[in-house]
Amino acid sequence: MTALGVIFGAAIGIVLLLWVANLIRHDRLYIGYGVIFVVGTLAATVVLLVPSLLDAVTRGSIALLPVASLTIVPLALFTFLMVYVFAQITILSNRVARLTQELAIRNAREADVEARAADER
Amino acid sequence: MHIQPTRRSQSLVAIPAYNEAATIRSVVDRVRADLPECDLLVVNDGSRDRTADVLAGSGAVVANHLCNLGYGRAIQTAVLYATRGEYRQLITLDADGQHDPAQVRPLLAEFDRGDWDILIGSRYVARKRYDGVPMGRRLGMQLFSQLVGLTAGRRIYDTTSGLKIIGRRTFAALADWHFIDFHAEALVYLMRLGFRIGELPITIDERRHGRSMYSALSHIKYPLKTVLMLVLGVVQAGVTRRRAS
Repeated sequence: MTALGVIFGAAIGIVLLLWVANLIRHDRLYIGYGVIFVVGTLAATVVLLVPSLLDAVTRGSIALLPVASLTIVPLALFTFLMVYVFAQITILSNRVARLTQELAIRNAREADVEARAADER
Repeated sequence: MHIQPTRRSQSLVAIPAYNEAATIRSVVDRVRADLPECDLLVVNDGSRDRTADVLAGSGAVVANHLCNLGYGRAIQTAVLYATRGEYRQLITLDADGQHDPAQVRPLLAEFDRGDWDILIGSRYVARKRYDGVPMGRRLGMQLFSQLVGLTAGRRIYDTTSGLKIIGRRTFAALADWHFIDFHAEALVYLMRLGFRIGELPITIDERRHGRSMYSALSHIKYPLKTVLMLVLGVVQAGVTRRRAS
């Protein structure tokens, strides 16, 4: 891979890492999903930055499945799309969790008020 | 409809429970016997066993999650309940009967004396070693303890203890951000915000019923998640402090 290709790949990796970290920080991506993206992206970036690793992975992957190096672009786009989809799932899931908590607290309070009223009677 | 706070006491004991039908009733009874002056809340975190049935008529206030949200969310529910009830402190206990509620009293005394924001009932602070803990867990405990020391400037030896006294000053910070299990990542976040967190030695009984909330896979995932949240907690605390100043 050319030096420009490595810089481009590493830049994509860093952008993805920062985006994922920011989503997790704002509770817009569940940490369990986030950690998979972080570990995957870190591993891919390390492979890209270490020439001997990149050679080994390239030889191994070509032996299994011959693909053009341009495949990396749709792969990166797909990863970004996956992060976006998982972020939307997380946002929805957070709303359900919040509703569940509010309902639990409200029902608990009502039951407590009723129990105390009964005690007083 | 606004429901008025129903606080009778300054302290709320909260017990998060998930599938703890075998032990939860005895834990509730022990808390009521040993800490009669405290209000008691059980957060039933979507249990699929008879936990809800067992709790009926126990005298505890029960907050039922309609589905399982996890330990962190269960604690957050308790924090929200304590905030709205205007409690002075929230005492968390495990539902598996490992904690002796009688040990809460010395913790409460030290909590008041030391002006702590969070006081942890610690299994390891007395000897500062993890004797008798299985290898995998011991490595994890050491890692988290060292990481807390590194990032917050002070080691906490028992980051995963379920017995904690949480002071009112921390409620807003705990409700505002998100945590995995209110363990190392939450402690670092709070310490970086300037809250005082301490440990007092306790002893525990071994779990006799049920299963630990950590599966085999979580021994790999949990440290990764915690380390990531710990780093983000440091960043978030920095952002929060800058905004506040």
